[in-house]
Amino acid sequence: MPIIVNLDVMMAKRKISAGELAERVEITPANLSILKNNKAKAVRFSTLEAICRELDCQPGDVLEYVREE
Amino acid sequence: MDKKWTAAKSLFFSRVLTIASLILSVAALFCIPVIAEWYDAVSDNAVKIRTVLTVILYLSDICGIFALWQLFRVLENFAKQRVFVKENAACFRLISWCCFGVALLWLVLMYWRFLAFFVAFIAAFAGLILRVMKNMLEAAVEMREENDYTI
Repeated sequence: MPIIVNLDVMMAKRKISAGELAERVEITPANLSILKNNKAKAVRFSTLEAICRELDCQPGDVLEYVREE
Repeated sequence: MDKKWTAAKSLFFSRVLTIASLILSVAALFCIPVIAEWYDAVSDNAVKIRTVLTVILYLSDICGIFALWQLFRVLENFAKQRVFVKENAACFRLISWCCFGVALLWLVLMYWRFLAFFVAFIAAFAGLILRVMKNMLEAAVEMREENDYTI
């Protein structure tokens, strides 16, 4: 998948744990783990909105496009 | 009537039928030489096909046993609520190949007996339907995964 989720980077910058973020964003820790490990196939706007709100960042800070070779 | 009750009973019935068919197919393995001999005895055709019929029946029965075993695995997964999984699609794929294999065997038998064409046709048709089912199941697995991995 050429879309990379850099959630762990932002989480480290904001010094927030996975459990705490999952609770704030109102998703399960298992789903957050799927997102963090780049296993997600799609992200709802509502989830992205909650992540950006809680991490105080832009969608581009969390998502990155990498051209496939 | 309670829908869940009907679904559970239906699944149970399918599993019982599959196990019964499996037992019958295994038992048939021991009767194949007798069946082939009987066929040659009652057949009006001057060309005797006992040996080739025995071989084709053995191979067909083995394919049938393997297909029934795969079907049993699918039903076991259904019972565990694992319906749209890759494993089931793989089982359907194998069953479909078994059907095509049987069709091919009976096409060979057509060289001696034209009526074998009908068995080959039915087996190939069943294989085709199962292949379409396998394709549908694969699409369903993909849709389920997409749904599961949408956060």
